[in-house]
Amino acid sequence: MKPLVLLVSALLLVFGCSKENKFDEREINLISPEKIAGFDPINASDRYSGNETGKVYEGLFEFHPLKRPYELMPNLAESMPTVSEDGLTYTVKLRRGVLFHDSPAFKDGIGRELKADDVIYSLKRLADPKLNAKGWWLLDERLVGLNEWRAKHALLDVTNYDEVIEGLQKVDDYSIQMKLKKPFPQFLYALAMPYTFIVAKEAVEHFGKQFLNYPVGTGAFILPKFEQTSTITYVRNPKFREKFYPTEGEEGDDKLGLLADAGKKIPLVDKINVHIIVESQPKWLSFMKAKEDLLEVKDVNIQQTITPEKELKTEHKEKGVRLIMKPMLDVTYFAFNHEEPIFKNRKLRQAMNMAFDRAGFNRLFHENTGFEAHGPVPPGLGGNRKEFKNPFIRYDLDQAKRLLVEAGYPGGKGLPTIVVQTRSDTVARQQVEFFEKSMEKIGINIDVGTNTWPELVNKVTKKQHQMYTMAWGADYPDAENFLGLLYCPNQSPGSNGANYCNPDFDALYKTATVLQDSPERTAMYEKLNESVALDAPWVLGFHRTDIYLAQAWLKNFKHMEFNHSQFQYLNVDLEVKKQLSKKF
Amino acid sequence: MKENSLWKDAFRRLVTDKFALGSLLIVLTYAIVALLAASGLIAADWAKEVGGSNLPPSTEHWFGTDIFGRDVLAKLIRGTQIAMSVGLVTSLIAIPIGVILGALAGYFGGWVDDVITWLYTTFSSIPNIMLLISITMILGKGIFAVYIALGATSWVTLCRLIRGEVMKHKEREYVQAAEAIGGGHFRKLFIHILPNVTHIVIINTSLQFQFAIKSEVILSYLGLGVQGEPSWGTMIDDAKLELSRGVWWQLAGATLAMFVVVLAFNLLGDALRDSLDPKLKGK
Repeated sequence: MKPLVLLVSALLLVFGCSKENKFDEREINLISPEKIAGFDPINASDRYSGNETGKVYEGLFEFHPLKRPYELMPNLAESMPTVSEDGLTYTVKLRRGVLFHDSPAFKDGIGRELKADDVIYSLKRLADPKLNAKGWWLLDERLVGLNEWRAKHALLDVTNYDEVIEGLQKVDDYSIQMKLKKPFPQFLYALAMPYTFIVAKEAVEHFGKQFLNYPVGTGAFILPKFEQTSTITYVRNPKFREKFYPTEGEEGDDKLGLLADAGKKIPLVDKINVHIIVESQPKWLSFMKAKEDLLEVKDVNIQQTITPEKELKTEHKEKGVRLIMKPMLDVTYFAFNHEEPIFKNRKLRQAMNMAFDRAGFNRLFHENTGFEAHGPVPPGLGGNRKEFKNPFIRYDLDQAKRLLVEAGYPGGKGLPTIVVQTRSDTVARQQVEFFEKSMEKIGINIDVGTNTWPELVNKVTKKQHQMYTMAWGADYPDAENFLGLLYCPNQSPGSNGANYCNPDFDALYKTATVLQDSPERTAMYEKLNESVALDAPWVLGFHRTDIYLAQAWLKNFKHMEFNHSQFQYLNVDLEVKKQLSKKF
Repeated sequence: MKENSLWKDAFRRLVTDKFALGSLLIVLTYAIVALLAASGLIAADWAKEVGGSNLPPSTEHWFGTDIFGRDVLAKLIRGTQIAMSVGLVTSLIAIPIGVILGALAGYFGGWVDDVITWLYTTFSSIPNIMLLISITMILGKGIFAVYIALGATSWVTLCRLIRGEVMKHKEREYVQAAEAIGGGHFRKLFIHILPNVTHIVIINTSLQFQFAIKSEVILSYLGLGVQGEPSWGTMIDDAKLELSRGVWWQLAGATLAMFVVVLAFNLLGDALRDSLDPKLKGK
């Protein structure tokens, strides 16, 4: 009997002492739903690596945390740049007194000041052929001389960063001049993305291949070493420059308490813990035990969060939990491979659009929180016109059947079985199964092809698919980012995985995308969006809704599409946390 | 006194064991269900929407409906067909390989034995699930790949057992007698020795079956198994997410179906060994 007693008490010791919530530390607990590959900005291609990279590193510009529509503000840059009349030359002045984190990479281990050379170095790293950066597309064919520099160094053993490039020059230690090959109005957005965050040459050289595990940035938080553990802990940067919480925001922010900390020096907390939890159920439980301050609610947990009327359920309200629901800048779609002869048939594509039961799909997979996409550009961006109704996304089986007859495939006769490639996770598979059932009703046979993520990317890149499913999230708030998905020169291996080519569309796209934001450009974007929607290059899906739950004590959280820089503004109210935690 | 043959004797012992008889009946029921489903007599329209999404079990739908409003019971039946067919086909692949290679190795010894032993030790040193995954990757996904993958990986145990048994038997008097009257290798091995080791094959088949069924479920759960057909594995995969919504019937149904048949095969395997192994005779 004795060993058993011992065993039981040992187990109690292990499980009984689970971590209690602390009320004395000014810390914030967040979740990352994906493993983080590392902290090299040039490879921060997905949202979650971007979020982590953004806690340590900074860019020249950053999106205002409160203002909507999204607005850029200077960050490491002292002010917004001066742009030459032809829109080709940008001069950026740097903020003085910005220090890198202390690191053994620097002399005496003390972080030095950020200078113009660091900016030039960081942008050149994106182009370094040896590094094969995931973010290279952002600067590809943009800066004068950069592509040539890249091509030249592809053949050399060592990359020479000292070589001066015409499009990327230092004026003095605190100002840089950048020259574009052709107008690229989205260029400043690019300088706010994680890819272009500024790194220090010493750190890259000191840590070598390990650089991705030793982030040395200028940001509000420090992570001395990144390890593949289940928690990443960032601590406040004691030498962080004088940076203040914004004093103005969108209308109504005041009422939501988002301006309570206006004018205070950031960061407002001492620590950020990021817990890496991949599975949805553990995430949910952890939030419900008040171990997390913020939860991005996905798929199955939506039903546990809101009522059918899209209200927060009372059980959560009682605990003070806040619901934040905002439409995302994204679009989901089932893409045709336009190199397949059958999909050159517009009527077939339109028929399939009309046979897709979007209401049913929305109910089953988005709990009715999705918005049917009428075109590729989501609401909230110039180019999406509310009044535009795409007639082919109406669910009308009779009309779909008629179109199918006109397409030359009455009742689906003559069509092969079409394989739709998707990821192998449960929801992705079920979504295509739903699509299969929809198409069955007009006689089109669909098979589900399941793939791991790399397999799927590979099939799309090599054009080895008939159809595939995808969701595209905005990189920056400009319709160009969505319309580019259908621009012929972007076809595989680029982002136009449908390999859609339409000369009229391409011509207008070329004209529109080099214009600065103007009513004229918006009108062109609208025309592009609407004309291409009618041509049915994809079976359009949804613009989804982001759903977040925030604990009452988490302050200053506002929904943000490009949220990698937002974490430095968060705050925690320990009094509220202490009081409410009894309810958990 | 009337002397019963080995097989009659074994059968008598099997049917007097209640557990064994019960297991046998369960296995037979599954087999019949699978046959009926394969012939399209039942659950042919499993893909049809019969009601709302995720309806709980009722008298109309004993196991409720799934996310698309399909009858879970019909999917279970269809899954039974898949599971049993996987069990059967993989056994048909694995048993001949195992028996022939095992018999050759045990009988001839020498370099033949070395080669075959090397082959099966190599096979068994690779983690099964990894091998299965790589085979499905090469052959593409689908039920055919599952047959091949499971068949090609599950012959090792049987091969080893047969090899040992044949080694033991080849020195026995009856084999020597066969040799004395001029029997060749083929005759000695296949006419004389093999019938005396058949009981191992039968016991093994029962265990082989349940191994194959379990593996199919795991593969399908991982998304590597059958595509576009309901398998117990895919049903459990679906249920993983549904469970948090309180939808338990699909998980319960698939798990129960698998649990019962695997348990039945295991009990049957045990009972078969008890009744067929001559050394346990009379106990």
